[in-house]
Amino acid sequence: MLKTLIVDAQKCSGCRSCENYCALKHGGLCNPARGRIHVVKWEREGIFVPINCRRCEKPACEQVCPKHATYRNFDTGALEVDAARCIGCLNCVSACPFGATFVDPESGEVLKCDLCDGDPTCVKVCPTGALTFEDLSKEAYLKLIACADQIPLLVREAIGRQE
Amino acid sequence: MYGWVGKILKVDLTEGKISTEPTEAYVDEYIGGRGLGVKLIYDNYKPGTGALEPGNPLLFNTGPLSGTAMPGSGRVDVTALSPMSNLRAKSNFGAYWGPELKFNGFDHLFITGKAEKPCYLWIHDGKVEIRPAEHLWGQDTHETQKLIQQELGDPEIKVVCIGPAGENLVRFACLISETGDAAGRTGMGAVMGSKNLKAVAVRGTGSVRVAHPEKFLELSIQVNREVRESPAYQELSSWGVARGVQMMYQMGFFPVGYFEDVCVDEICQKYAAPAYVEQHQLKNVGCFNCPGRCMNFLSVPGLGKGVTSCEPFSGFTGAVWNLDMDTFWEATLLVNKLGIDCTETSASIGLLMELFHEGIITEKETDGIPMVRGSKEAILTTIRKIAAREGYGELLAQGQKAFTSQIGPAAVEKLDLVKGLAPHAYEFRSFHGTALMQAVGHRGDPLPLRGSLLEVDWNHAPEWFQQVAKEQFGSEEAAIPTSYEGKAMSAVISEHLERVPDNLGICKWIYGLFAYQDVNMALRLFNLATGKDWDMAQLLKVSEKVRNLERMFDVRQGLTRKDDDLPKKFFEVPLSKGKFAGEVLDRAKFEKMKDEYYEIRGWNKETGIPTREKLVELGLEAVADEVLN
Repeated sequence: MLKTLIVDAQKCSGCRSCENYCALKHGGLCNPARGRIHVVKWEREGIFVPINCRRCEKPACEQVCPKHATYRNFDTGALEVDAARCIGCLNCVSACPFGATFVDPESGEVLKCDLCDGDPTCVKVCPTGALTFEDLSKEAYLKLIACADQIPLLVREAIGRQE
Repeated sequence: MYGWVGKILKVDLTEGKISTEPTEAYVDEYIGGRGLGVKLIYDNYKPGTGALEPGNPLLFNTGPLSGTAMPGSGRVDVTALSPMSNLRAKSNFGAYWGPELKFNGFDHLFITGKAEKPCYLWIHDGKVEIRPAEHLWGQDTHETQKLIQQELGDPEIKVVCIGPAGENLVRFACLISETGDAAGRTGMGAVMGSKNLKAVAVRGTGSVRVAHPEKFLELSIQVNREVRESPAYQELSSWGVARGVQMMYQMGFFPVGYFEDVCVDEICQKYAAPAYVEQHQLKNVGCFNCPGRCMNFLSVPGLGKGVTSCEPFSGFTGAVWNLDMDTFWEATLLVNKLGIDCTETSASIGLLMELFHEGIITEKETDGIPMVRGSKEAILTTIRKIAAREGYGELLAQGQKAFTSQIGPAAVEKLDLVKGLAPHAYEFRSFHGTALMQAVGHRGDPLPLRGSLLEVDWNHAPEWFQQVAKEQFGSEEAAIPTSYEGKAMSAVISEHLERVPDNLGICKWIYGLFAYQDVNMALRLFNLATGKDWDMAQLLKVSEKVRNLERMFDVRQGLTRKDDDLPKKFFEVPLSKGKFAGEVLDRAKFEKMKDEYYEIRGWNKETGIPTREKLVELGLEAVADEVLN
């Protein structure tokens, strides 16, 4: 079974390790702006949301690419960009419904998460468990459990009881 | 260059002039961060310039490891002449601002002069603008950051700013970044306010290059894992210091009130921070690229959201006899938003309460508000009045000394200050190494120093930590709090260790105290990042040089041995309660520790001033020529 990167934004502390280690792994530089994952932060609210490629079943980025530079790596499930074919039109960036396709601010190159060939660096360094690497089938299941977990609490709140 | 990004940015606010200078010429001698900051301020501060005059340079210093992909790389050292002590100021903040400055290609930011009207600096992708800030003047620190982000249209801009306290030149105003990470001590907010500078906003997309990316990545992933696995960080990352502070009270390391007496039973039994954190904590947060999350993000209905780290947990509880945690949180948010140093503010409130308790002042001196120990009204009103310089806050904003001088000799007698600042609130009567480090310390910083922490740790497992002390400082006695032996060596070594992470621009809690107890890991990361091949001796030699140059800056300001002292309370009034009941500092033994310290340092014992030989040995001959003659 393929594994995928699962984001649980509630756990994120906004440290941006994932961005910086990602840039170091892929580009040999320390620069969060070159990461293939990005944390959107609302500091005063304590809300931090890591945004990463969702590896869609019908990927908009792949469909809009005029040069077929974006393709799926069937070993990992990741959508990758063939730099030799890419013409830098950024259609994929505009088409992504999540804003999860990034651009290198210096070279203009498209940056997409390649799951580090099946061993994601960001998962290794995420301190809070906001990023995990799990079986694809577990993504829905884990979400289900997390939501179901809330239900007794919501019911108690609704009927005004503390226990 | 690897590690360093190459330039020192210089901004002259009077002329509106912006220039740069290469960093490279300095790095082999001073590395960066605090060390290079000391060199720059020593060279550029003209003796005789007042702390709030335009000529006082304000420096933000990152190091070669700031912004790199490794834990704790978010630290910035801030320095200027301090309006509190008239010596070199030293403050340090974390969060996300420093790396962002480096991504602009600047290692240091050097600000002089005074703008005609309120302004703020906007540094983006290597470009620098001085922008008007009249509309921001008067806004609190949270609001200022939000308004700047909105005005420039980018929520990822990082801002370090002053609040109303800094604008009003409160001598201990601080700088605030994000929701509460502060360059707290020594009055950097007042210096920034005196320049009519409201904020420095940064946003960069450049890179910090490292010399050996693959090895660096491998090692920093290992460090990331080791930090997460260390028991200290597991505690800090879930509780912050809330439970640690309770422990400090129980072992008598934190005094209650204005250094009154340790271990007041009430606070040990009723200290409610852990429960409060459990109830109101949204999550724990930390600095750039750090798996450690030492700061609590609390959201209290009706009072608000924000971040706090260590100081307020004792400053707004024990130090002001307060057990009500809502008052603690309101006070914490208030000092963060107004931009005043929590440590100095809580000490000032403690002083008022002490004076009131002793009958030296009545509510007449404090605008009709009785300074009853622990009173919520007293705590919150005093904070507001200091920041606004209103009523009795006008004098208090100039420091505790100015206030007591106005009241009279009986009040002056009560003052507990070290080099013009409120000392860290530790119990020096029973922790003697800590006392020495506070007295001789550059600004007075016993924690975070390794030697002081060992004295605290000793309480958990005496024999174990005596062994550690023997290995690290050459004497078992160094770990025993009440002993006077071995402390001088422990102070010297600890000071050198402490300056390593400061010079590199990284967190000293990780590299030297909690995750790693020495600086071997910092050295390995430094070599991999910069491509240099330094050994430990070379790294520590820079620390020693920096320590001596710091001292010479202060000597040039008139500092001598007699300033390396503690309030007389610690020599006269023994502790009456707790584990260390009966302990008091012995003057002769205390002075002997100082003698040993100066001797190891190669400083003159009579004056406390570095000798010419020492300075020449460290390559500071020009400094010796200037100051010693």
